[in-house]
Amino acid sequence: MVTSRDVVRRVDQDGILLAAAADKVVDVLVDERRVWSFWTLRDTETTPAGSLRLAPWPGPLQRFLDGRARITVRETVSRTVIFDERVSFGSGTGEIAIVGRKGEPLSLDKDGRLSATFDVRDAGHTGPLLDAIEEVLSLLHDLGVEAFPAYGTLLGAVREGQFLGHDSDADLGYVSTETTPVDVVRESFRLQREIEERGYDTHRYSGAAFKVDVVEGDGVVRGLDVFGGFFDSDRLYLMGEVGQRFEREWIFPLGTCTLAGRELPAPAAPQKLLEAMYGPGWRVPDPAFKFEKDPRTQERLNGWFRGTQVDLRRWDRLYSSRRHTLPRRQPSTLAVDAHRELPADVHVLDVGAGRGRDAWYLAREGRRVTAYDYLPHAATAVRDAAVRDGLPLDVRRLNFLELRSVLGEGARAARQPGPHAILAVHALDATYAPGRDGLMRFARMTLRGGGRLYANFWTGRKHDLSRVWPISLAEVEKLVRGHGGSIVHASESVVPRADSGERALGQVVAEWA
Amino acid sequence: MKTWLDRLDRSSARVEALEERVRVLEHDLAELRRHNLRLAELTDVVEQLLVPMASRDDAAIAAAIEKFTKSL
Repeated sequence: MVTSRDVVRRVDQDGILLAAAADKVVDVLVDERRVWSFWTLRDTETTPAGSLRLAPWPGPLQRFLDGRARITVRETVSRTVIFDERVSFGSGTGEIAIVGRKGEPLSLDKDGRLSATFDVRDAGHTGPLLDAIEEVLSLLHDLGVEAFPAYGTLLGAVREGQFLGHDSDADLGYVSTETTPVDVVRESFRLQREIEERGYDTHRYSGAAFKVDVVEGDGVVRGLDVFGGFFDSDRLYLMGEVGQRFEREWIFPLGTCTLAGRELPAPAAPQKLLEAMYGPGWRVPDPAFKFEKDPRTQERLNGWFRGTQVDLRRWDRLYSSRRHTLPRRQPSTLAVDAHRELPADVHVLDVGAGRGRDAWYLAREGRRVTAYDYLPHAATAVRDAAVRDGLPLDVRRLNFLELRSVLGEGARAARQPGPHAILAVHALDATYAPGRDGLMRFARMTLRGGGRLYANFWTGRKHDLSRVWPISLAEVEKLVRGHGGSIVHASESVVPRADSGERALGQVVAEWA
Repeated sequence: MKTWLDRLDRSSARVEALEERVRVLEHDLAELRRHNLRLAELTDVVEQLLVPMASRDDAAIAAAIEKFTKSL
């Protein structure tokens, strides 16, 4: 094997130290398996040593680096090996294995997430995914939409006849016959509903894209993304990156491509769509490809289709590692006070419940409670414990940024018998104006027959806050009145904080009766 | 000299006014674009929830709400 220490100088806990004259994409292999790819200039940092550059280990890989492993660095395109040695990390003496909980090999996918990418999966594993692709394509066809593999899946099929090794999910796209964004969204809603009815779990990303979960042979759940597109006169827009002049004849009538031996539909001129997706260099492999987003296209796609998942990823990252652990923090003062004040038969709707610490407290006190969040899996531990202990606690999804969610859950909650109250502990300051309107709409629907909203929020006085959208007491009062409610109590107090001085906390009790 | 400075002032005030006008128009355009998703959501609610509710059949209404919220 050819090794050139002139290029990669050192591999250690900090990362890969190298001298790079031109920007090249390289793969990093741990025990002969690719786990990461990066560009030698774009993705590296300058070092005090001047000409040398450092590619720091990406966060998701760092926790594995304790022990010994054979590290290989090779140029992706030419496959030339530029480093190949056994390296020790930390104080560990064992062999490093970059694997998941079930021992499945993991590597970084194109979005920098640790996933079971296709390069570590055999036909036994990808077969069920191909089955699912064919099934969803056929389903979409039956529902009146001519779909085809898109983005990385189309690129893999056209360039290599295979799934891309560094990819971890499958993408489908279709170009609607609808001509306005509103109708494209309605069609996407319909398609998701029909697919859900056929027994698949689905998750919506935006007004024109959703994911279908497919359980593969080994139990791995893999997402199949369905992106909608349409022609606005001579421009093609395809969620989530494409927006440019495009000939209809480059899409219709659909042709075919071959993916892992199976013939699938494809745009009439797939190379034109690949160029629109990845630029003219799409024929050259780049496992570290980053989309260069066209700001005008993004503005349009954002305006038409997005805005319902603001900050979702950040919350997901915050909760994902702790969702199987019961919350240990004491319940909030507001929850304790509300519980003391409310008659025993009042059903508490805990909105923005997060991991469900207040819902868990209320349920253990014997109170009926529903924990709502736009990431309901954050409360997985609380939900499971409630089922185990037979407690009256339900966990449901509620997204204040999605009108359908607010109206649907609002209608459902309003129909449930008995009095309700809403507990909103730091929910108003966890979202921005459209989300606050959603919360108030939900309150108006569910509390019309009586009951109160108990809300607290950082008002922004006294301290510069991160990760929250502070809102003044006066603004909340105005918001409540604007939605037809009346204020029962409003106050603001200064709360000392161990970490950061003090903050001003607003508290409002309101009713709609 | 005074006339030239006056013209420069007027021209710079005009550019500022136009810049402000563009900001307002961009804001209005973004607002109009957002109506697409909003309108689609409302239409969906009417079709999926309001129509079954008009039937006044309690079981049908509950089923429609469950089906609707599950499909989001």
